[in-house]
Amino acid sequence: MTDFQIPKLAAKAADLKAVLSGTTADHSEGMSYLESLPRRLVTLYLPLSIIVITLLFPFYWMALTAIKPDAQLLDLDKFNPFWTWQPTLKHVEKLLFESHYLEWLWNTMYVAVAATVLSIVASVLAAYAIVRLRYRGAHWIGGLIFLAYLVPPSILFIPLATVVFQYGLFDTPFALILTYPTILIPFSTWLLMGYFKTIPFELEECALIDGASRWQILTRIVLPLSIPGLISAFIFCFTLCWNEFIYALTFLTSVQNKTVPVAIVNEFVDGDVYRWGSLMAGALVGSLPLVILYAFFVEHYVSAMTGAIKE
Amino acid sequence: MTDFTRRTLMQGGTAMAAAGALTGPALFDFAKAWAQSAPWKAEKGAKLTVMRWKRFVPGEDAAFNEMVKAFEAATGTKMNVFSESFEDVQPKASVAANTGSGLDLAWGLHTLPQLFPTKVLMMNDVADYLGKKYGGWTDAAAATCKQGNNWLGIPVATIGGYMTYRKSAMEKAGFKEFPKDFPGFLEYSKALKKNNTPSGMALGHASGDANAWLHWILWGHNAWTVDKNDKVTINSPETVKALEYCKQLADTFIPGTASWNDSSNNKAYLAGELYCTNNGISIYVAAKDDPAKKDLAADTYHALWPVGPIGKPTELQLCVPILAFKFTKYPNAAKAFIAFMLEKQNFEKWLSGARGYLTHTLNAYDSAPVWTADPKNEVFSHASQRALPASGIGHPGEKAATAIADFLVVDMFANFCTGREDAKGAIAVTERQLKRIYR
Amino acid sequence: MTIALDQGQAKRAPPGADSWGRLKVNRDWLGFWFMLPAMAFLILFLAYPLGLGIWISFTDARIGRVGEFIGIENYEWLWGDSIFWLSVFNTLLYTIVASAFKFAIGLYLALLLNENMPFKAILRALVLIPFIVPTVLSALAFWWIFDAQFSIISWSLRHLGLITQNINFLGDVNWARFCVIFANIWRGVPFVAITLLAGLQTVSPSLYEAATIDGATAWQRFRHITYPLLTPIIAVVMTFSVLFTFTDFQLIWAMTRGGPVNATHLMATLSYQRAIIGGSLGEGAAISSAMIPFLLAAIMISWFGLQRRKWQQGEAND
Repeated sequence: MTDFQIPKLAAKAADLKAVLSGTTADHSEGMSYLESLPRRLVTLYLPLSIIVITLLFPFYWMALTAIKPDAQLLDLDKFNPFWTWQPTLKHVEKLLFESHYLEWLWNTMYVAVAATVLSIVASVLAAYAIVRLRYRGAHWIGGLIFLAYLVPPSILFIPLATVVFQYGLFDTPFALILTYPTILIPFSTWLLMGYFKTIPFELEECALIDGASRWQILTRIVLPLSIPGLISAFIFCFTLCWNEFIYALTFLTSVQNKTVPVAIVNEFVDGDVYRWGSLMAGALVGSLPLVILYAFFVEHYVSAMTGAIKE
Repeated sequence: MTDFTRRTLMQGGTAMAAAGALTGPALFDFAKAWAQSAPWKAEKGAKLTVMRWKRFVPGEDAAFNEMVKAFEAATGTKMNVFSESFEDVQPKASVAANTGSGLDLAWGLHTLPQLFPTKVLMMNDVADYLGKKYGGWTDAAAATCKQGNNWLGIPVATIGGYMTYRKSAMEKAGFKEFPKDFPGFLEYSKALKKNNTPSGMALGHASGDANAWLHWILWGHNAWTVDKNDKVTINSPETVKALEYCKQLADTFIPGTASWNDSSNNKAYLAGELYCTNNGISIYVAAKDDPAKKDLAADTYHALWPVGPIGKPTELQLCVPILAFKFTKYPNAAKAFIAFMLEKQNFEKWLSGARGYLTHTLNAYDSAPVWTADPKNEVFSHASQRALPASGIGHPGEKAATAIADFLVVDMFANFCTGREDAKGAIAVTERQLKRIYR
Repeated sequence: MTIALDQGQAKRAPPGADSWGRLKVNRDWLGFWFMLPAMAFLILFLAYPLGLGIWISFTDARIGRVGEFIGIENYEWLWGDSIFWLSVFNTLLYTIVASAFKFAIGLYLALLLNENMPFKAILRALVLIPFIVPTVLSALAFWWIFDAQFSIISWSLRHLGLITQNINFLGDVNWARFCVIFANIWRGVPFVAITLLAGLQTVSPSLYEAATIDGATAWQRFRHITYPLLTPIIAVVMTFSVLFTFTDFQLIWAMTRGGPVNATHLMATLSYQRAIIGGSLGEGAAISSAMIPFLLAAIMISWFGLQRRKWQQGEAND
């Protein structure tokens, strides 16, 4: 279980390394020129569009619900449910100006960024220690960190509520900032371990001989070379924080402290009335920061993952 | 589904003002005077964090917040009020009880104070004070909050649930008035189905609606989860009869009720797909507020639950008790606030704001103006008197609360009605669970 | 691996240096400090509460009351509890079916996205959307899509004349299971696809070209080049996927609350239901703790199963 196999993957094809190393170039042009257009239509574009449409439909449905007037929402006979000719911004307006939405957005951002930064710092140190310091029991600890993923929030959240209270964190952003890393550290440590292994050992050897300390090696050599890996870990952690629900539901009580997912559900479900328009508008607006983040970094994300796994 | 904009909020506000209640400066004057003479003096610099369930009717929480403000002004207590959905109130209160912090007051559902009787502030003095002043408490409400002679909380109100139906559909089905007994109700529901104007009640985990009507059927057949001494008695021929009746009834429902939660019937009814269901007054209020649903509102009526073979009302109504935690630093402020809420000057206005959604538990409020403001409200005024506590004839307490919270009765009926289990199997599963809870 | 270790040995501090200097380069000592932040988080907020949770499962704790030790009574009770076993069955069904589909569709999608085509970057960003929208909100959207009366799917099928009555999506046992599994797959596919896509990009095109020249079919190229090279990343991604699926909570909670008649109760939701809603902390903790062996087994299977494949191919050297 220990070594996670990743580095061994391409070990055999060491001769490939020259081709691969350092670049994250797209190799996909490959063989496509051998295929005719009709064939590509059937084997590529058709299945791809089916999958993409299925993946996007619920999202479209959210967007549509967010701008549909309420009257049209439940009247499927008079109005075509797939479209609306009278879009309204009422729901969005209500969301932004008649609720604490901006505050929640800020809270979520704050918690997500803080928890992510903390986790990445901890993960960088841990991953470096496991991969390069190889202290006694490093593999064993590496396995343990991975096992931490075995422990789902749904198991922990009862005892953790007591613990959070003991530490005096209840209903503060720190309740989340300090507990989220337990979800984030295992993955980002794993990701960074893979990435650190791609950095030639010789570089460190030389630096060590020149008398550099481990800390200097980490900050001057390893980290600058691992930027894509760090971005990838950052995005992943940020997404998890943004979506987390159970802890946020349990550890925060005041309205102004809440995070977006919890607050929206709480605010726009009036007992037995679901205000779909505002709920969906909230979901959309709440996803926007992530959409922007991904739009900018998706290529990084893919290439960083590539870097992390290829050795 | 209506959309509660500011406009409807304002309407709610004017309706309240029209009811002739105290508002604005008058309210503050009253609050000041009250604070002077009340038996509980809020501690200096007191701060109360209050959790309440999320309002169903906007006017209700407007009235509530006004009360909170008046109380703040009169006593100098800082109030921090926030609301949680029905489902989240109990977990949150439980966590607070468990950790000993976060909340001072919790306004929850059913027998909430009984879930952690050792963690709450005794309310005997408040209950006595209010009971004496306002004609005493109704039986079910008192039973919900009392452990022995101690009051663990104050039953602020009952959220009444009654039959909500479309009169035109009923008449078309050949009924002049809403059925008053079980066989009649079954015939009526069958006739509705035949006309393609079906009825439907939640068979899913809907804490309010599903618990209400399934307990009503169970108890109506004189079947009980436990007897007076908390001995498990679910395994009885009466339960079998209740199951069979329920199945016949459920077969006449609109499809999908097994997945319903508390909001599903509102949605279906307001969309004109459902013609009879059990609910609080919120469906009717929503229809009234929506100009596009005028006809629907005019056609909507309420009726008492039909009475079962047992021959007396067996209604499970949703009591909403408020409790103060023992660990609060400001017990007097907490008590003062609770008593303040239930004073006539506040409470009648509040009832009006709730527009029938809340029913008083103090007998003197039978004459509250809300019950005559709209004749269709009147039915809901009986909710507190006709109710049985959530424990049926057993002791209301932690055990009964667990049984309700675990949806034992709901699951038993749902298991049988959806054909997953036969009567014997459904009862056996429930009996086993009950025996563990009541061990 | 052995080589690396030897390199490590060689770099040990030279003997005779002062003890502080030795300490500074002592890898165990340094390792300790480097591990400290991660370990502190995991011990304070994971290991300790986990231990506490397991302890609670041996008590009759209720919310607001510390329990007394009652041994394995909670587990004994669960052993005979049909709803618990139903939830175990549901969890396994949910995990196995959803993970299998997530893997198949994710891999397929990754292969498709790896092709050269216009607007590739935008497509990749679009595909990630289900992963980005907060789960509880997309679950609500699904709940709305699968509504008993206002389902857009029922509406469309009705208007196409394929059905006469609304499909009872969340009210019928099998449909409800189908719906929650579908929603889970929907949410999980992007992560699997994008990660596998990353893996695919490490495969050199020259390998394919060589294989094509040797006359390999597309399937053979996939089977003998792509798949073996992807195995490690598949192991990792599927381990995550299985874990996320097995411990899923929000999706079920938002869509069905475990209904109809417990047909979609997972162990996580049942534990929440019993512990928090019902107040029996001990029993809820016992249900959560009962997940641990299953999780361990799932991990072992995904881990060693895939490792063995590599031995068969003679790749492993340690």
